Amino acid sequence: MKTPPSKNNAENIRTIFLCEDTPDGIFTAVYDAWASGLGHRKVALELDGCFNYSLFSRYISVSTDYEKSFKVARSLINKLSRQVFTMAYYASLSEAPEKADAIYRFLILAFHHGPAIISMLGLPEVQTVFALRRRVGNEAHYFREFIRFSDAGPDLLFGKIHPKSNVLPLVAPCFSDRMPSETWLLLDEKRNLAAFHPADQEWRLTSVSKSQLEALQEHTKSEDQYRSLWKVFHKTIAIKERMNPRCQKNQLPLWYRRNMTEFPD
Amino acid sequence: MIVHKTMSLEDKLKILSAAARYDVSCTSSGVDRKGEKGTLGNAAACGICHSFAADGRCISLLKVLLSNECVFDCKYCMNRASNDIPRASFTPEELCSLTIQFYRRNYIEGLFLSSGVLGTPDHTMELFYQTLYMLRYQYQFNGYVHVKTIPGADGGLIRRLGYLADRMSVNLEISSQEGLKKLAPHKTHASILTPIRQIQNGILHDRLEGRRADAISGPINTIEQPVLSRRTEEEQAFLSQKASDIESKSDITLSGSATSHKNFSRQHIPAQSPLSANAPDRDALDQYDPYWQYLIRSAQTVRRDHPHFVPSGQSTQMIIGAVPESDYQLVHTAQALYQDYSLKRVFYSAYVPINEDSSLPSLDTKPPLLREHRLYQADWLLRFYGFQAGELLSADRPNFNLFIDPKCDWAVRHLELFPVEINTASYADLLRVPGIGVKSAKRIVYARKHNILDFNTLKKMGVVLKRAHYFITLNGRMMYPIKIDETFITHNLIQSEQKKNWQVAQDMTYQQLSLFDDFHLIDPGEIIHENAAL
Repeated sequence: MKTPPSKNNAENIRTIFLCEDTPDGIFTAVYDAWASGLGHRKVALELDGCFNYSLFSRYISVSTDYEKSFKVARSLINKLSRQVFTMAYYASLSEAPEKADAIYRFLILAFHHGPAIISMLGLPEVQTVFALRRRVGNEAHYFREFIRFSDAGPDLLFGKIHPKSNVLPLVAPCFSDRMPSETWLLLDEKRNLAAFHPADQEWRLTSVSKSQLEALQEHTKSEDQYRSLWKVFHKTIAIKERMNPRCQKNQLPLWYRRNMTEFPD
Repeated sequence: MIVHKTMSLEDKLKILSAAARYDVSCTSSGVDRKGEKGTLGNAAACGICHSFAADGRCISLLKVLLSNECVFDCKYCMNRASNDIPRASFTPEELCSLTIQFYRRNYIEGLFLSSGVLGTPDHTMELFYQTLYMLRYQYQFNGYVHVKTIPGADGGLIRRLGYLADRMSVNLEISSQEGLKKLAPHKTHASILTPIRQIQNGILHDRLEGRRADAISGPINTIEQPVLSRRTEEEQAFLSQKASDIESKSDITLSGSATSHKNFSRQHIPAQSPLSANAPDRDALDQYDPYWQYLIRSAQTVRRDHPHFVPSGQSTQMIIGAVPESDYQLVHTAQALYQDYSLKRVFYSAYVPINEDSSLPSLDTKPPLLREHRLYQADWLLRFYGFQAGELLSADRPNFNLFIDPKCDWAVRHLELFPVEINTASYADLLRVPGIGVKSAKRIVYARKHNILDFNTLKKMGVVLKRAHYFITLNGRMMYPIKIDETFITHNLIQSEQKKNWQVAQDMTYQQLSLFDDFHLIDPGEIIHENAAL
């Protein structure tokens, strides 16, 4: 009679799925970990490139598969709700290294409890993803407010940001609605990811080469009239008797000001 | 008066934005409008702030005057006719290109257009109309526009302007009739309240009929008349009743309803349908009536080719500290404006002395920032927390306590209602607990259906336990064993708030919060207020 090889060992060993740091990468890993059938307690998700090897663990590299990621997204929306999907999706854009496993734990509970999971803030797994979601959502909202575009050549607006979370996929739709008939390019310097929107067309994510970037920078260097007018306005609108830099800093933290026209570098 | 005929755009912007900065209203909220190909802009109901000025105030709109050449002589105003200052005026083209170019670069959410009275109120309003018409139909601007109404302007002009703007406002400035007469000789309460009532009626008729009616003449007629919106008979009846109610209020006064201290917050959602003609206190309930709110909101999602009259409602502003008024008067006025005039927002502006005048506080008066802060807190309590002005203040206690916020202040005076059990309390009761806001109250109501909550969870939901823990129990237990005693709790709350108050007060006057009675270096205007508060 055959027994499965090294059964005792297998019981103690955790399998860790290493995934790419993108929403698709994380969703693929969720699919693979779930489909592996090893049991939820025996698997964990980690981001490739920011983890430490631990003892008694087996590591599996997950290659991002858009079909699997799409399937996960589809079943979240169809079997649970769009809000559950949004919560997981926002969390997957966060900068927190533990996000992949947090999303996995959250989804286990989500399939157990159903769509009501989003308001079950008494559960620690939900609290974690709720906090990630809130942080990403807030940051995206801030960037929607504080992104500054400049004229880069005729009919091209260029803006760059240096966000903590990967907010580009969240802010690009806002600007596409706001300026549907403008051509603009929004660059995430940190991830070298750009959202490009040709006039009257859909926006898309691309990368920007070094030479392209230099050309853009060159164009936006010269001070155009409206940039200086904006600085004038920003200065005169403040009331001297009410000066309150501390309040200003609370509302508009210094790190957001890096690429803002009205603040000196 | 110095008028430069040839002035650069930059100089004009400097003069006309400096002249507009004392108007505090700077919100771009209240209306959702999708972007459209071929146009520029959209609108988000949540409102978007694009920057913050050095005084910590948000910059959401390009806030400028069309002109600072003013024939009125309001004592408190920088642009009064008797002041010798450089004067300038924008042309409609200049305003349009500034708005468009700022908007494309994501500097602003839209235009806030105000003006001095250039010649006559009607002439000024016509210039507003020209500018907005050009902006909307020549420059294809689809973003947010807030426009001021000049007191004394013709009703027809207000009606036409209302279909081009998202929000309109008339500044009440001084809440008492006598104060206004003293400081703004060209304005009367009637001339200010008449346009407010006109806009209110316009909004109501627009929501009632769901179309632009006879409002627009001139070139706009080329735009197709939108179809009648499909309202159910029930909705139609409700709105008609509403319209006749408001129209029957022919008096244009601020009655201030100081006598009606009815506490309706507990019956947050009326048991009786607001449609039944005899529903008690219907006017008072409107603020919290979800049905009415729904009907109003249905007009807030607008398309460009289907303009609504002032879709995001109207607002006003009151100056704080220019004349000796009590907070009690101000809060009552605000409540009357919300309830009788259906205003969306009332703004409070701490008086900044610009002009020297015998009827004004002296030039070295510091703006009463902490008092302004308390009024805004109270305003939120009126609008979102189901409080009534009469609950917060009374004739014997006419001013807010500067040491403690109005909600805490109310709670420590009503300890008989506390502690509140988080797991069973109604939403309305949760809202009244200091440290619990609208969002966290909602989160509690949802979360407690599924889980047993603990203090740590409450904290993660956003409840400020520092304040809340004196007033709540979880499963019958308080967080710490504390004495439910007014003096004890007040003392502790003041201690934990001291640093924050100090920060707000810093910019006001370094003596304002002093506990030592031997330093009487406070300005005369402040003393009245300070003594009353202590």
